[in-house]
Amino acid sequence: MSLRYLARRLMTAAITVFLIVVLNFVLFRMMPGSPERILLGRTPNVSGEVIQATRERWGLDKPLFPDQFVAYLASTVQGDLGFSFGGGSRGRPVTDVLLQRLGPTLLLFGLGEVLAIILGLALGAYSGWRRGGILDHVGNGLSLVLYSTPYFLLGMGLLIVFATGLGWFPTFGISTVGQSYAGPLDQLGDMAWHLALPLATVALGLVGQYSILMRSSIVETLSEDYVTTARAKGLTEGRVLRSHALPNALLPTVTLIAINLGYVVAGAITVEVVFNWPGLGTLTVNALSSRDYPVLQGVFLLLSVGVVLANLIADLMYGFLDPRVRT
Amino acid sequence: MTAPTLPGPAALSLQPVSRQRFGFLRELLRRPSGLFGVIILAIFTLLALVPDLLVGPLQTAVTATGPRLGPPSIEFPLGTDELGRSILNLTVHATRISMVIGLLATFITVAIGAVLGIVSGYVGGRFDALLMRIADFFLVLPTFVLAIILTAIIRDAIGTGSREIGGIRLSLLVIVVVIGITSWSSAARIIRSQTLSLKERAFVDRARVIGASSSHIMRRHILPNVVNLIVANAVLTFAGAILTETTLSFVGLGDPFQPSWGQLLEAARSTGAPGLGAWWYFVPAGASVVLVVFAFTLLGNALDDILNPKLAGRR
Repeated sequence: MSLRYLARRLMTAAITVFLIVVLNFVLFRMMPGSPERILLGRTPNVSGEVIQATRERWGLDKPLFPDQFVAYLASTVQGDLGFSFGGGSRGRPVTDVLLQRLGPTLLLFGLGEVLAIILGLALGAYSGWRRGGILDHVGNGLSLVLYSTPYFLLGMGLLIVFATGLGWFPTFGISTVGQSYAGPLDQLGDMAWHLALPLATVALGLVGQYSILMRSSIVETLSEDYVTTARAKGLTEGRVLRSHALPNALLPTVTLIAINLGYVVAGAITVEVVFNWPGLGTLTVNALSSRDYPVLQGVFLLLSVGVVLANLIADLMYGFLDPRVRT
Repeated sequence: MTAPTLPGPAALSLQPVSRQRFGFLRELLRRPSGLFGVIILAIFTLLALVPDLLVGPLQTAVTATGPRLGPPSIEFPLGTDELGRSILNLTVHATRISMVIGLLATFITVAIGAVLGIVSGYVGGRFDALLMRIADFFLVLPTFVLAIILTAIIRDAIGTGSREIGGIRLSLLVIVVVIGITSWSSAARIIRSQTLSLKERAFVDRARVIGASSSHIMRRHILPNVVNLIVANAVLTFAGAILTETTLSFVGLGDPFQPSWGQLLEAARSTGAPGLGAWWYFVPAGASVVLVVFAFTLLGNALDDILNPKLAGRR
């Protein structure tokens, strides 16, 4: 991979992250009412001195630009995202609150992505290859229905059938409340039991769009000249698919999956709410209802930077796999 | 695309846009996916137009007559909610709210996308480069999280209260605008690329040579030729807008006084309907969302096939 390609990708990602930080600053300063009033709450008889002291303490007496903006940039770079306003986490550093919720989300969402990618690509590749077959029709229809279903609705359906109805799985949380475990394996088993339904929801929600992407990519690849050549050489159909069509069809799909990550985040948020999964999604919704703006700001920053990084990794992988785009 | 080399007036003839119209509708209805889409669209439009005639006025906590969280019965075919309101009544009224929000949001999204796409593609240069950078930025961002934050901030900023504009509560109009702001970028990109190729065509050159202004060319020559694309895009955007509105309402940004499908689903979840086995509370609203989004996705794909023949072989 050429150094220029690498440098350009890194540069774009850096600019995007910078823009996100700027947007984050501007958005939350658009809000009505001065920040010190929010900090001090709705107490009517706060003296002028207290207000003045608060303004000085948080640098609100200085102009928005450049002083406040520079201070914001500096603390963001150092990982200081301010303090939570509301709910049960009032007064705690936002970074702590976020880090505590990151693990469960990564677990649920990472595993869900992996499952969905494997299943979706396999289903899409097969139905694209056997275009017009029974599996193609059924799979395509099913994929479209899954694609049209909001993730949380899928979750509510699974919940009522498998948790409430059949009682196979717990209805909420990441572990059984008040349970004492015989050992770490026991604890892991309990967590897996709680994870099953949310994980199935995330994976099913994603499978539809991935299989649609892969299918159209395979169909397009199969009409390329080099596939015709491979067939003319007398290769078996299976060999044509595995060595010629699949590798080429995978490339655009990888990029599209990375681009779609930004949209997919929405689904992750709502699935967590349905199952009361203690991740960033439930955090977002709780922060929203108590108007805990610093936490919302932190979530937005964390998720956006995460998506940009995932895109960067996909870009670099693409450049590594496909020599044509390295310039 | 390079300029066509055809000589004579043949090259001047505009795209046969108007001649296609009727054959086009027939072709759409001949496809199973197109027919299905049109039928679903007709049913839900009817529900949205005259909900009062079909199920009476929207029930409130005061006018509710049924049992609390009662299962489907003869009197209440789809059961009741935790306040004793008929789910059938709520779902039919929610159809109007969801469809109107979806329609308005689609209109804003497509309008922004079309204007920016055409101007960006036609003007070109630095303006184009900057605008497409911004579009790319929006494509990468987790726009849903941005939409959540924007909705909350704008509502706090203008203090929505119970004000209404044209019978729609201000809090819902904020959602409409936010969906527009956060989802214009893909429409703009698609329309821009079409504009780029149209710009090189002979009829645009001729208009320019006889002294037509840029704005005249964009309105009279480019716009009519991207209308097909705009329509196909709008249908898909509508499906996306319904999904976004449903999800925004589900995380608590809906309006309980004008419930949409998403608001009903949120109410069902916060009442604990899935845990109580009250499937009738969320299945009607959920099925409506899935049906409408599914139908519009099929319809959009069918339109794409017909209006953009280059892609026809792919699906």
